[in-house]
Amino acid sequence: MINIFDGAMGTMLHQAGLKPGQCPEIWNIEQPEKVTAIHRQYIEAGANIIETNTFGANRIKLKHYGLETKVAAINAAGVAVARQAAKGYGKVAGSVGPTGKFIAPLGDLNFDTAYEVFYEQISALDKAGVDYIIIETIIDIQEMRAALLAAKAATRQPIICQLSFGADGRTVTGTDPRTAATTLSAMGASVIGANCSLGPAQLLPVIEILARSCSLPISVQPNAGMPELINGQTVFPMAADEMASWVPKLAAAGATYIGGCCGTTPLHIKAIRQEADKLKFQPEYQSHAVTALTSRTRTVYLGPQFAPVIIGERINPTGRKALAADIKAGNFVTVKKEALAQIKAGAGVLDVNMGVPGIDQATTMKQAIDELATLVDVPLAIDTTDPAALEAGLKAYPGRALINSVTAESERLESFLPLAKKYGAAVLCLPLSDSGVPTTAVERIKIAKQIINIATEHGLNRHDLLLDALVMTVATDAKAAAETLLTLKLYREQLGCPAVMGLSNVSFGLPRRDLMNATFCAMALAAGLDAPILNPFDPLMQDIWSAAAALGGHDSQAVAYSKKHVALPAQEVSNTIPDDILAQIRQTVINGETTGVAPLIRQALAENFTPLTITEQALTAAMNEVGKAFGQGRCFLPQVLLAAETMRTAFDTIKEVLPAHTAQSLGSVILATVKGDIHDLGKNIVAALLENNGFTVIDLGKDVSPETIVAATREHKPHIVGLCALMTTTLPQIDITIAALKAAGFTGKTIVGGAVLTENYARQAGADAYAANGVDAVNIAKQLIEC
Amino acid sequence: MPIYHPRLTTIDLKETKRYAGLSNKTDFSENLLAEACTRAQLLVTPKGIWNIYAYDQDTHTIMAPNPLVLSANNVIRHLHGSVEVAVMAVTIGLTLEQEVSNLFLQNQYTLGMLLDAAGTTAVEAACDVICNVIDQHAARSGLTAGRRFSPGYGGWSIDIQPDILDLASGGAIGLSVTASKMLVPRKSVTAIVGLYPYQQMLNIPEHQELSCDKCGHSGCHARKESNNND
Repeated sequence: MINIFDGAMGTMLHQAGLKPGQCPEIWNIEQPEKVTAIHRQYIEAGANIIETNTFGANRIKLKHYGLETKVAAINAAGVAVARQAAKGYGKVAGSVGPTGKFIAPLGDLNFDTAYEVFYEQISALDKAGVDYIIIETIIDIQEMRAALLAAKAATRQPIICQLSFGADGRTVTGTDPRTAATTLSAMGASVIGANCSLGPAQLLPVIEILARSCSLPISVQPNAGMPELINGQTVFPMAADEMASWVPKLAAAGATYIGGCCGTTPLHIKAIRQEADKLKFQPEYQSHAVTALTSRTRTVYLGPQFAPVIIGERINPTGRKALAADIKAGNFVTVKKEALAQIKAGAGVLDVNMGVPGIDQATTMKQAIDELATLVDVPLAIDTTDPAALEAGLKAYPGRALINSVTAESERLESFLPLAKKYGAAVLCLPLSDSGVPTTAVERIKIAKQIINIATEHGLNRHDLLLDALVMTVATDAKAAAETLLTLKLYREQLGCPAVMGLSNVSFGLPRRDLMNATFCAMALAAGLDAPILNPFDPLMQDIWSAAAALGGHDSQAVAYSKKHVALPAQEVSNTIPDDILAQIRQTVINGETTGVAPLIRQALAENFTPLTITEQALTAAMNEVGKAFGQGRCFLPQVLLAAETMRTAFDTIKEVLPAHTAQSLGSVILATVKGDIHDLGKNIVAALLENNGFTVIDLGKDVSPETIVAATREHKPHIVGLCALMTTTLPQIDITIAALKAAGFTGKTIVGGAVLTENYARQAGADAYAANGVDAVNIAKQLIEC
Repeated sequence: MPIYHPRLTTIDLKETKRYAGLSNKTDFSENLLAEACTRAQLLVTPKGIWNIYAYDQDTHTIMAPNPLVLSANNVIRHLHGSVEVAVMAVTIGLTLEQEVSNLFLQNQYTLGMLLDAAGTTAVEAACDVICNVIDQHAARSGLTAGRRFSPGYGGWSIDIQPDILDLASGGAIGLSVTASKMLVPRKSVTAIVGLYPYQQMLNIPEHQELSCDKCGHSGCHARKESNNND
């Protein structure tokens, strides 16, 4: 049978006289008869589950009305009036809406605070006697997780979790229906669904995906169409009959709880009930015995039917002093860098280990998870032996994480398995017991079965578990690899859980470990390994990986393999390498090959070319050519800068080989970005180009007052002052500064430039020249000096 | 006054290339560009904040507690037909621009310049995320969000910057305005977004224009062209 919810409460309250800006929930206490009447209309229309008028009755929302101390009273009253209307004709669902804030790190609301806010409200609803808790209109999976955790702690009643999805099929914070279903079903939701924001047509595909992605009942409460603003009023255009016509489709998609959100009235519910009653079907909840991990925005499946997944192992300070020091100092840049690099190298899950001695691991793990969950889309594995750190990580993680790992040791089982159940994590089971490391596959299977049994007693399912086959060192035990491979085979045949393991132990103490690891990886994949934990930067492993994916049928027509390994046709070399060393240097500077120029400079000096000759005939000539190409639109500013960097490397090499050599300066230039202007990238570019073209540059920086510039001209007596202004608001400073320079008797030249400056403006401000860009500035400076 | 920290799980290389002034057709090192994008991703801390106000089209007034009357024709035209406005402020923080300065001091000009471009890409992407959240919020009231319009766009004087920042509550995410009306941190944006009744939006084709079409800086190397001839 289809359960029918009620429809919109807000619309009905306004029709009953609720004023805009008035707290809807306070009517549970002040106007209970009106709320009861609305509930009764829905019951009479055919709803068998009505929702309490408590959507915004949490402490944060009630604070807007100064009612934050009345959470318990308002929720209890809300249940009482609903009960009075239901009177045996329907059940009562305690409605819990969002706090209106985003949970950190996306927003400024602390997760624990959100949990407490939800716990307070849901406890009140539970004590007042609701039949369900319905958490609805939530736009962020992390807020839903906080509410669901609070609900599980506060009540034993079924918990309905409804998210709001946008037209792109994702929540505002990016969660898709598949990921939501996987995450929330693992956490213990009773019903999963969608409400608000969209009409039935737009929610239909969302419902289909939700139903395909979990084994739970699915609920849907669409708006009465997409809202329109007409004459200052938000209007939901879908009539009752039209809305009801979607009921068969929604039910066929998998929804067994159907109701309405914004714009739906008792008439809509009546029509929905009539349509639902015509349906002859028994809900069948499909079994989804599939192992999956999720991030906030993505689901990764593991198992024989899916492509193998690499679990990146590099976020681990063990044996890495620099990384350990960064983590200890609370600096996560290296951790983040590792994460991005591993994903680029092909990791589909990242293992996160914060095992640095002497730190608060729980705090550090939370920080690491916060940082990584906002940076990457792949799921994370939390790798710790500390239950407090594990819980901190699981709480902070906005998805279904993997716990790496749980052994058969009683202490570990008792501390980790409840956390896995509470937070909906998957568990990597390690067949190690209190008696040590089992050497044979048969022993490992036995211990794995023990862990599975105990995990099942803690409420976990087979698809919550992954099994590690244990990798021992082949250098000390000739059968080590064979036993591991047999373990993988038996896992797949007998236990059916995906297999995961680290590979690199196998080659410990041997030469060419990369070869040994890669070969073992290939053999293990054939034996049943679903997700190896490895260093994704190992090139041999990457090659094995792409070949194995193609051979295993996970790379259709070996497209990815071919793309990676196809032999590229030899590139035509347009410029033949010149024999002349000066020509070679010139070409290297033009090409911007910063690493290639130093050996050529050394060679030229060894061939007795003087620094002056190298500078004039190779370096300056190259920069002139680059400048010309820039002027003709054949090359662009970053290429000019690369050439300048190469030129600087060349100068540095000359000074290194011949320390006595000092290049003749073409002249001195003071540069400044004018007062009030805090953007100095353009000025920095000009400085770089001038310096590398032989000028002495005194860079005064940004936001420089006319007085400072005048004082600097007195001190340095430059040939040229270059001034930069970028904003219309700072343009007048150009005029003021030039006037101040003239008043101070400065006899050198002035060049001005910047985004909003024009040649005309430069002229009226009294500048000697206007430079449209850095290359122009260099050319003009040369001309002005020659004058 | 919602505060939202957008997640930037990638920084678009193509956009970075455009902001760096590189034509689509050049064969500039993708590795350098990719390095700049990755570095930027590590250095940015995107934050956004916004407030939504009623907008009186007749008097061009943003109906905030301290109402702001708009006088510039370009923004008035942009908001034509909107009944509400979202006033937003977004930043990616200070760290990236500090790193750009460091790179120049270390003579790594190219990477510095590319990182700056990647920072621009990041702040624009963060703005897009915030606009998407605003749009989804507006949709619940039957409204559609138009394009964002910033002080400085299309000749809208940046003298209004302090008022816009104030309306957005930008101080709550650490933004301030200098005496010359520049935002600090520099890689920050304030903007106004018109919220239009859906049907009305359909009748106003000018809102479909590219934001660059409204800007007077036709020589800008980062200009988005309406007709891309690639």
